[in-house]
Amino acid sequence: MAKHRLIFTLLVDKGTYVLSRNFRLQRVGDLKWIKEYYDFNAIAFSIDELIVLNVERGDKDIKSFGKNLELLTANCFMPVAAGGGIKSVEAAFKLFDAGADKIVINTSLVKDLELVRRLVKIFGGQSIIGSIDYKLCDDRQKVFIENGSIDTGWSVEGAVRNAADLGVGEIYLTSMDRDGTGQGYDLETLKRISAISSLPMIASGGVGRFDQLAEGIKYSKVQGVSTANLFNFIADGLTEARSYMRENGIDLAEWKASIQKDDTGAACHNASA
Amino acid sequence: MISIVNYGMGNIKSIQNAIRYLGIVSRVIDSAEEILNSNKLILPGVGSFARAMENMRKMNILDALNGAVLKSGVPILGICLGMQLFAEIGDEDGPSEGLGWIAGRVRKFNTTSGLKVPHIGFNATFFSSNNRILFDGLDEHADFYFVHSYVLSCEHETDVSSWTEYGEKFASSVRRNNIFGTQFHPEKSQRNGLVVLKNFVSSRI
Repeated sequence: MAKHRLIFTLLVDKGTYVLSRNFRLQRVGDLKWIKEYYDFNAIAFSIDELIVLNVERGDKDIKSFGKNLELLTANCFMPVAAGGGIKSVEAAFKLFDAGADKIVINTSLVKDLELVRRLVKIFGGQSIIGSIDYKLCDDRQKVFIENGSIDTGWSVEGAVRNAADLGVGEIYLTSMDRDGTGQGYDLETLKRISAISSLPMIASGGVGRFDQLAEGIKYSKVQGVSTANLFNFIADGLTEARSYMRENGIDLAEWKASIQKDDTGAACHNASA
Repeated sequence: MISIVNYGMGNIKSIQNAIRYLGIVSRVIDSAEEILNSNKLILPGVGSFARAMENMRKMNILDALNGAVLKSGVPILGICLGMQLFAEIGDEDGPSEGLGWIAGRVRKFNTTSGLKVPHIGFNATFFSSNNRILFDGLDEHADFYFVHSYVLSCEHETDVSSWTEYGEKFASSVRRNNIFGTQFHPEKSQRNGLVVLKNFVSSRI
């Protein structure tokens, strides 16, 4: 069986990495900051997968996002997914060329079904993640698109079924109400949707502590758990989260803790380059 | 010099990045002449078996590959589709002839178990008792990252250097003399994958 996944999501707005709270963005630092001060290359060795989302509002500059992605992931040796504002096959190619193994589609799942079908046909469903954002409006869960700014009126169930029908390979489900709050995932919704979805699901929105990551997998039965908070699991946080999850019976992949000069030659020297 | 053969099937940037990270210089090549001037070859690849063979045929690099690998004994590492091409026959997009270096056939995953195909994600490998060179320094059951719908079904068990379980037991890596292949992506398998690449590129094979 394939293992469960601990996923880190980075949000980028015009070259700046941001924090998101209920989809309102707060600027944190640029590529230099994330690599040199945040020590992203070291953190990247604690995760199973990386997702990088272009959250620029309005028309997105895919080309400069792709350039940023390429520089960010030069020393990342795990699957990388990227998305945000993919409105054409060409835009998808740009992100794959920049090093993405998968792309993430959100707005087009609702507004351009034909594009999603074409992307699935060209790149294969296994390389397309359907991202669905929802929040509670008048006691009803509704799906939002365009960075959470437009209410589609769709239910989460309907949006997940639609994404599956279009042929995407997995679902990234974000609670906008929980996003950035640290209160934990919306476990009930995740559990309900994961029970009816035939696709692997990734939980997103609200996680702030190790036990909440573990709960997502144990209680809601999702395959992957994601955090997009730059500060909740800072420094060794994700390494510790992995250990905690493994100790709590979650089947995560394991790899060598460090690269010694003995086993990978010059790697040691280059690790911080 | 380590040469990565680019025959138009998928992204090779992450393999280049991984080798650079190991502090080793590599180059990307696409001609018969360059293949014949290489000390070690890496054959990457994502996509369809039939199209990959067709691309190599059009590029006129098949004779050079056969010469380098079979006659001169140049070590080669096939990754994912690159490993599958070592087989005699591939079923993807209709049966087509492969490089024929490893006796066997590339066929679709057995799906009777109800597991989803493609097999995607990190999974454990069980090393064979011989042929451990690529896994030197790694613990038993090391995890690697997989994305594939087809498996290389080897005629001789001795060619299999590790097994992985996904609905069925399949060859997650192969080795025959100077010919090495991994069904998983070492360049996407965190430090375990870097160790495998390091073992291939820097050991005296």
